[in-house]
Amino acid sequence: MERMTGTDFSEWLRGRSDERLRALVAARPELVTPVPAHIDGLAARACSPSAIGRALDRLDRFSLSVLETLALRPGPADRGTVLSLLRRAVPADRDDKALGSALDAALDVLTTRALVYGPDDALLPAPGVADALEPPAALGPPVAEVFRHHPPERLDVLLRDIDPAYEGDGRAGGERPDGGRPAGERLAALLADSATVARLVGEVSPQARAALDELVWGPASGRLPNARREVDAASAQSPIEQLLARGLLGATGEETVALPREVALVLRDGRVHRDLSPGPPALEGPVRDQHLADRTAAGQAFTFVRTVEELCEVWSVDPPGVLRAGGLAVRDLRRTAQLLDLPEWAAGLVVEVAHAAGLVAAGEGEWLPTGGYDGWRIKATEDRWAVLADAWAAMERAPGLIGERDDRDRPLNALHPDLRRPGAAQTRARTLAVLESAPPGLAPTPESVLARLAWEQPRRRPALRDRLVRFALREAEHIGVTGLGVPATHGRAVARGDGTAAGLLAPLLPEPVDHVLLQADLTAVAPGPLTTDLGRRLALTADVESKGGATVYRFSEQSVRRALDAGHSADDLLAVLERHSATPVPQPLRYLVTDVARRHGRIRVGTASAYIRCDDPALLDEVLADKRAHLLRLRRLAPTVLASKTSRAALVDSLRAMGYAPVAESLEGDVVVARADARRTEGQLAARATANTAPDPEVLAAAVRAMRAGDSRRRPVEAPEGQVPRSPATATISALQEAIRQGSRVWIGYLDSQGHATSRILEPARMEGGYLTAYDETRATVHRFALHRITGIAEIGR
Amino acid sequence: MSDGPLIVQSDKTLLLEVDHPRADECRKAIAPFAELERAPEHVHTYRITPLALWNARAAGHDAEQVVDALIGFSRYPVPHALLVDVAETMARYGRLRLEKHPVHGLVLTSTDRAVLEEVLRSKKIQPLVGERYGADSVAVHPSERGNIKQTLLKLGWPAEDLAGYVDGEHHPIDLREDGWSLRPYQKEAADAFWHGGSGVVVLPCGAGKTIVGAAAMAHARATTLILVTNTVSAHQWKQELLKRTSLTEDEIGEYTGTKKEIRPVTIATYQVMTTRRQGTYRHLELFDARDWGLVVYDEVHLLPAPIFRMTADLQARRRIGLTATLVREDGREGDVFSLIGPKRYDAPWKEMENQGYIAPAECVEVRVTLSDDERLAYAMAESDERYRFCSTTPAKTRVTEALVRRHADEQVLVIGQYIDQLDELGVHLDAPVIKGETKVKERERLFQAFRDKEIRVLVVSKVANFSIDLPEAAVAIQVSGTFGSRQEEAQRLGRVLRPKADGGGARFYSVVSRDTVDQEFAAHRQRFLAEQGYAYNIIDADDVGEEDPAR
Repeated sequence: MERMTGTDFSEWLRGRSDERLRALVAARPELVTPVPAHIDGLAARACSPSAIGRALDRLDRFSLSVLETLALRPGPADRGTVLSLLRRAVPADRDDKALGSALDAALDVLTTRALVYGPDDALLPAPGVADALEPPAALGPPVAEVFRHHPPERLDVLLRDIDPAYEGDGRAGGERPDGGRPAGERLAALLADSATVARLVGEVSPQARAALDELVWGPASGRLPNARREVDAASAQSPIEQLLARGLLGATGEETVALPREVALVLRDGRVHRDLSPGPPALEGPVRDQHLADRTAAGQAFTFVRTVEELCEVWSVDPPGVLRAGGLAVRDLRRTAQLLDLPEWAAGLVVEVAHAAGLVAAGEGEWLPTGGYDGWRIKATEDRWAVLADAWAAMERAPGLIGERDDRDRPLNALHPDLRRPGAAQTRARTLAVLESAPPGLAPTPESVLARLAWEQPRRRPALRDRLVRFALREAEHIGVTGLGVPATHGRAVARGDGTAAGLLAPLLPEPVDHVLLQADLTAVAPGPLTTDLGRRLALTADVESKGGATVYRFSEQSVRRALDAGHSADDLLAVLERHSATPVPQPLRYLVTDVARRHGRIRVGTASAYIRCDDPALLDEVLADKRAHLLRLRRLAPTVLASKTSRAALVDSLRAMGYAPVAESLEGDVVVARADARRTEGQLAARATANTAPDPEVLAAAVRAMRAGDSRRRPVEAPEGQVPRSPATATISALQEAIRQGSRVWIGYLDSQGHATSRILEPARMEGGYLTAYDETRATVHRFALHRITGIAEIGR
Repeated sequence: MSDGPLIVQSDKTLLLEVDHPRADECRKAIAPFAELERAPEHVHTYRITPLALWNARAAGHDAEQVVDALIGFSRYPVPHALLVDVAETMARYGRLRLEKHPVHGLVLTSTDRAVLEEVLRSKKIQPLVGERYGADSVAVHPSERGNIKQTLLKLGWPAEDLAGYVDGEHHPIDLREDGWSLRPYQKEAADAFWHGGSGVVVLPCGAGKTIVGAAAMAHARATTLILVTNTVSAHQWKQELLKRTSLTEDEIGEYTGTKKEIRPVTIATYQVMTTRRQGTYRHLELFDARDWGLVVYDEVHLLPAPIFRMTADLQARRRIGLTATLVREDGREGDVFSLIGPKRYDAPWKEMENQGYIAPAECVEVRVTLSDDERLAYAMAESDERYRFCSTTPAKTRVTEALVRRHADEQVLVIGQYIDQLDELGVHLDAPVIKGETKVKERERLFQAFRDKEIRVLVVSKVANFSIDLPEAAVAIQVSGTFGSRQEEAQRLGRVLRPKADGGGARFYSVVSRDTVDQEFAAHRQRFLAEQGYAYNIIDADDVGEEDPAR
């Protein structure tokens, strides 16, 4: 098989336009990290197995099939040849035109990515591609490979059985068949010949033919005990032995046999693939009313936001501990699930999303809401949801695995570092992208989503992909990205990541109301989310009994007392209720409020940090009368007791200074140190997964420029002698901006990290955040330069 | 944004705005699968429970209908998780079925092998099943039919009982509708029961549950065992059956403390059935005494545990449970579902009242204040004595007297818990007292005298909580009760709910000591009625004498 050498590929690459090279490195950014010095370097890297592997992983099934077809051709092929090869594999009812345009698109992708190269009439897979594809199209190894380790005697026996003309050559018996063509080549030529294969297949029993059919479309190998048995056509007993004796199967190991590639291709009747689809498989599933789906998803979105808020509220009062290894104990998750009235997987999701959105974090050995939670809480519901949905979409973790066990049989806990799964975010993003592409109203089945993903990236099968996709679909439903399985309008916006999700969700959410229905069973029903002020008032006066689209409040003695404690009077409360009630205030409620108010405040409680006690009231009179005591803010509670706002120690000191001889009394535990019941942590926020953003076009352009430059000179440019003239910072920046715009080179003075003055020739690409990214011709690399260390700039004379 | 009458909450409660034009339509749609939890004036609360969903499945509704009803009537988007939960819960019913196999007899079969495997692994199920026939069915001993249903319900896989019923010994029973006729809801209730096979009918006190029982018997036309709470109630059942059906005196037997008759229709009391002598229930063989075709459980919310156990063995016979309040203070509603059957009919109290089948009632809570000495004594009382102490305060006696004076021309019942208090009230009011030790004959004489208006005021203990038919009682005054029992409060109100001859309303006073546990218990007791829409007005004892407190 004749192939162009690596040099040809390199030359072809060099001949591409800058634009095409930029497209190449944009599609395969790993080729320019780090930037190769020149085009040869780029070509070498593009042909490395790992780079080709990554490029192949990004191909869809059709493009991959095109590449496989090309790779299986012994030499260069033009478009027409490839098309005719492919056409056989496409079901006849498909549109031929569609196939043609799909092929053009695929060839464009393949050449752009430098997986295929050469002129249009002689296309070749790039060096290394054929090896990376092995085995292509589920074919077995070639004949030469299969029979390589067969002893010459076996080959001899085989050839004798296969080729009637063989013995006629006169090279029979123990004579080595190396006089003419080697036996292996002879065998390969025979088995690649369709007439010979047809004849051989015709000789074997129907069972043997059935076994052959099994292997034709792969997998092309099977297990067979004692595979290297000695058989010939005459002694062959079983169907498999009949095949072995004719070389239609060959032993590739002690216990494995394989169908040689050439035989399979003949049996495939010239087709490389059995059933080829030029386009992705359609999503399937029930069709529902898109509006209904939107509403259902919005209902779920509303619930999800509320659940997260509830979680944070619960945890701010009663935070669960952080396990020593990190994460949340199974027991705590179960308790949380019960509190939230959710199944455990859903509670795990809520916890993980809250964490990913930076609303809860570990601090002081406990899981606590962060300061960020307070900011999140006051936003509108739709904005809050968007924050959660985005955090979920970018989360590089698999909450669906919570509760399972890892390789070492330890439970996987929520919030534990082990829940990180590289590729989780990408799989989720791809799943969302598939959902986004679903037609309105379609609820794609998980199977059809999986089929679509398998078509889009057939080679990429991250561990657990199928499970991650199913998790993503289940989670999307729970978060309200989909409703009734149908991607909701606001959910599609999350998939697009264009920031319109909140705006689309808002009109679907319940509108705030400013009235409640008061009932004689001491409940109040708010038939929608309350306006903030009324909501706060009611939450103070009554206990929430049920949440959802509406809120049910129950008035009780405790709740009314709580409102009175907060400084409202009974008349106040009743006035608020009357004003906001759609109906008259029921008698029992009125009675309750006045009855509680009647008893409220009979016992008075105040704070005093210290007291003075003395059996002699006259002495206390004396203390109170003392001018120096004014600073102590003493107050007489009873004839023999004074209360003070100062601390005990200060009081004792002051009294001593005034000439008394006080004694400090022990607290006896009757002073409770006030502790805020709702705590916050300053702890670490969850690391947000960096989005899989494509590299900046400017950086890519710089990389291409760098390679071109390296290519044209192959040697770094020497910086001119002497010092760069110093220039003011503003002039430096404007000169750099100019250079970026024009793509020209500049000469700069730069202080390196040791403080040494250096001078460089740069081709500036981008300026951002106090740094300049530029191709450094002096060192032939792309480098980042701190702007404040650039001492001066000058145009480079040319 | 649609403008439905229903708001679906994420805790699976449904809020129905009653003044909404589509409220009635919505109520009908959700009633099969949601329990009415509260029915105050503006917004009714229903709850979707697994039991209610299975009830709906048993009655032939499917998840699709439930989801449609929720989405169709909901004002706001329905959270998807809730819909999924509904569908999943409903799908659990009927995966397992109890069937009668022509060869193997009673078998538990399943369309879902995994479910069958799961329940068979349970230690609680293993002793109840026998030989395995193939992958999908397993033998069940006929006597374990009830137990296995009960256990499966607890495991969350309720079995659909398709094994059918024995017809029992035939006995002709017909309704004799001369001068009266079955009310529409009574007929609906009896029909619903008959089509369902077995189950519970929930009707308010005074709505004529006995007649529903009689109608069920006329459907069954078979020998019937009726279980009632006490002897007086047994007599009332007998009178009612004689009046309403073709049954004659010697076809109806009484099986009580004094008489042990077994006739085609036998009325037994829970008390005699659960009497133990030397550790065994002596009278349980009554269940096997005849080939009963129907078993009627009156006041099923009071069904004692031994009867539950016996009922488990009676699964091949048709069973009807009657109650006003399917609220069991012991939380055994699930056992009622699996052993007696699902709820077949339910009518809200206020609806009955609107239709005039029960008297409109006004509930008033009268608060009395303890004197300073009493408050001190109360504060120092042991916690188990506190309720008795505060609920028997002399202040209550004074208020009761004032109330009785005010309703001088009406029939008044005074109901209480503590005998001393009742005796004292009897003396003060100059009224006879019926308590546990009062002989049945004497009780019936007094009740009759009360019905005939020879006696105007009657003081009764908890023996009169249930099933005592006193149509002319228009005022009930409750001075103390069994702590926080909700169903007791409802039953006591029920004593005055029979429609009055003059069409007038009823009054129910609950006298409560302010700022004590009495007040707390009262709040709890009132919950059921408040949820049924009975609003309690609260007045102070001092106001009783002055004007009409219930305005």
